[in-house]
Amino acid sequence: MADSYASSTARNRRRFWLVGLVGLIALTTVMIAPYFLDRYLVNVLIRALFLAVLAITVDLVWGFAGILTFGQSAFFGIGAYACALVATHYGFGPYWFFGAFLIGLAAAALTAWLVGVLSFYHGASPLYSSIITLALPIVLVQIIFAGGRFTGSSSGISGFPTYYWAVETWFVIAGVMLVVIGCFAWLFVRSDLGRILVAIRENEDRCAYLGIPVSRIKIALFTACGSIGAAAGFGYAAFTNVVAPELGGFLLGTESLIWVALGGRGTLIGPIFGAIGIDVTSSYLSGTLPFLWKFIVGVLFVIVIVLLPNGFASLVTGAWRKFGPKRRSADANDERASHSILLRPAPTVTRLGSNGEKPIIIEGLGCRYGSLSVLGDLSFEGRPGELLSIVGPNGAGKTTLMRCISNGSERTAGTVRIAGNEIAKRSPEKVVGLGVGRSFQNTSLFDSLTVGDCLRLSRYRIDGARLLRRTHHVALPKPALGILEATGLDKHLDQETRYLSHGQKRGLELAMVLATEPSVLLLDEPTAGLTKTERTAIGDVLLSLTNSYGLCVILIEHDLDFVRQISDRIVVLHEGRMVLDGSVEEVVSSDLVKSVYSGHAAEVA
Amino acid sequence: MTALFLDIVTTSAILFIVAAGLMIILGVMKLINFAHGAFLTVGGYSAYIVTDYGFSPWLTVPFAAFVGFVLGIAVERLVVRPLYSRPLDAILATWGLGIVITQIIVFAFGRGVQFAESPMSGTLEIFAVGYSAWRLTLVLVAVLLGVGLTALLYLTRFGLNARAVIMNEDLARGLGIDSVKVRVSTFGLGAALACGAGALITPLLSIDPNMGLPWLVNSFMLVLVSGVAIPGLALASLLLGGAQVVVSTFVSPILGGVTIVVFAAILLRIRPKGLFGG
Repeated sequence: MADSYASSTARNRRRFWLVGLVGLIALTTVMIAPYFLDRYLVNVLIRALFLAVLAITVDLVWGFAGILTFGQSAFFGIGAYACALVATHYGFGPYWFFGAFLIGLAAAALTAWLVGVLSFYHGASPLYSSIITLALPIVLVQIIFAGGRFTGSSSGISGFPTYYWAVETWFVIAGVMLVVIGCFAWLFVRSDLGRILVAIRENEDRCAYLGIPVSRIKIALFTACGSIGAAAGFGYAAFTNVVAPELGGFLLGTESLIWVALGGRGTLIGPIFGAIGIDVTSSYLSGTLPFLWKFIVGVLFVIVIVLLPNGFASLVTGAWRKFGPKRRSADANDERASHSILLRPAPTVTRLGSNGEKPIIIEGLGCRYGSLSVLGDLSFEGRPGELLSIVGPNGAGKTTLMRCISNGSERTAGTVRIAGNEIAKRSPEKVVGLGVGRSFQNTSLFDSLTVGDCLRLSRYRIDGARLLRRTHHVALPKPALGILEATGLDKHLDQETRYLSHGQKRGLELAMVLATEPSVLLLDEPTAGLTKTERTAIGDVLLSLTNSYGLCVILIEHDLDFVRQISDRIVVLHEGRMVLDGSVEEVVSSDLVKSVYSGHAAEVA
Repeated sequence: MTALFLDIVTTSAILFIVAAGLMIILGVMKLINFAHGAFLTVGGYSAYIVTDYGFSPWLTVPFAAFVGFVLGIAVERLVVRPLYSRPLDAILATWGLGIVITQIIVFAFGRGVQFAESPMSGTLEIFAVGYSAWRLTLVLVAVLLGVGLTALLYLTRFGLNARAVIMNEDLARGLGIDSVKVRVSTFGLGAALACGAGALITPLLSIDPNMGLPWLVNSFMLVLVSGVAIPGLALASLLLGGAQVVVSTFVSPILGGVTIVVFAAILLRIRPKGLFGG
């Protein structure tokens, strides 16, 4: 174990060195560039560098976390106006200047936090956050208009006191800011937490059911990106000495999306070059061919979105892969090796249920949509080490029952107690915290993440995630390790999950759910679509979970033979009502159950 | 008081007319068309061309609708069709398309402001108040449009096919409905409605290359609040349009400009599926 720790710190150190080296080269370039470029270009570049910082934040929010934001410009505008307003109306000097900077950052962070709280809640459609981010710059610009002489209304503020440093100095300031933020963003997206952002983008719901606080992570990201955007806007205003409502407007927001899309979303470097390239070129062409240039950018944007969704960066990486030096393949292997994850057993925890409480008690549970009652007055309980199967014809409400147990806002009546704690109105990620693990009817995974990444992110709730580092080992509870071994997944930790077979996917999903250390495990048709041997293997796993690890497993299953073999108890649902709750023998010999399954015929007979 | 009432009714009617094309496309195709604003602008310039060549101002709307239909079919084929599986990207691509259309208009007509002749001028005497005749006509147009679209969806073969595609596209295709054709015609219809709306509002405003932009955001909000249903859109237009008029009149016209956006954001937080959404 000490060995793996040493090698993982070595890998992290290598990454830090790489980022440091690239950062150093970039910084050196920034230091000497202004002495080789003509004055006009330096001026144009300074503005472009500040805008590139804004592009980084758009890429983090949209490219990595998948939140389509039209409103990143609003934070830029808030930072810019903080600079102009404080200098114009209150005072100027090192303290005032720095104070204004902090005010800008704080105001932007607060705004972003409010927007985040409003738009990221469990079950919110991705469109809603886009709507709010669309409304934000529009409202901000109207506030600026309404500010009258204080904000300079539509003409903005210019000529406020600022530091009239040489352009070379400003260039270095803007350049250093871009390089530093770029390097941190780079480390961040490659860290454990960065992987979680990608997981949220790919399958938000699954993340929530693994106990990852999706909303909180999104709000935190949005708040951080908001204040970075404000810092860029502050610098922009201090340098140009002009602020106008357009700096916080909807059009700059969409323009920043264009930079990121053209450069290549989710690549960081693409958006940086996209912003600098487009802004500098338009400064040169705005004199001679202003309309043509906008036209070309528009056409390029449409073409890139339709044909090249990953932007020009994907052309470069694609060409590199095709025509790059031969040792590339060796490199790839090397990188793979350095990415691989070591599995190790997690320390056994004392379960919540060990305090003598029943793992799950359901009382009077009901669920209705308007006048349609899907579930009514359900009461049963699960004991530790028990395998409880829920059977019933299609439409009996089985999956709805799973939903009601794992998400506090689903049910409309009754209580669900997990190890003595009521789930009340808790969101799925909090219910996971109480000890409920849920697997889905349709295997839902994260296509572009590797098996190892998936396992690590399922440990987020327990082990957390590093902000700037990648951990290279993941501690899993014994049953999860057992499943990985049984399905051979432990040898494919670097495989992306989309290349796995259906059986392996089911195995991985089960291992991920178990990694959250549940005391109650909800499985929705875990054997659907599996071969006979795989089915037997899953059966063995479930038996060992209940017998050796004392879990309470609740299983939905259509295959009655399978149910009969492994269950301790069976609950029969029919049209949303509980028809029977008894031992396997009781249920199998019950005429009622036969009539439920075969409909009227049996009833008549 | 009467004037305020008429303001509310006519503003709502205008909003309904302007948002209808966006809603038809979102309803059938599940696609948010951010080129809607540019389509409105195209409608405005179509009206300008018609009256500039000396034709009757009554021809502006049919001509604009025709231009929109042709434009819509071309755009569907070139830009929208590859993006059905990527709805958020479709927003961006149609936004980019809007930029392209706007720039083409700038090439052709310059950035200046133009005016189109109005089919109707002067005021009508109603409830003892003189009120713009054209605004009152638009109320009638909105009602006819609402009735017409409902009839199209519920009384025609196209409507039946479209509703089948809305509810379950795979099944509809399995039943032999050509969903590609339904989509092309829907996008054509949506664009025709947008351009027609652009022509209808030009007598009230000046024509410039960015005239559609402010309408885009408001239409988008209204359609989402409506829950993508025709009666929902009527109700949303009345509620939010009414709020806009009241705020502009009694508080401040600047705040009136963001009333729809702010109310929509709040309403959608409370009812994420809109007023008439399931």
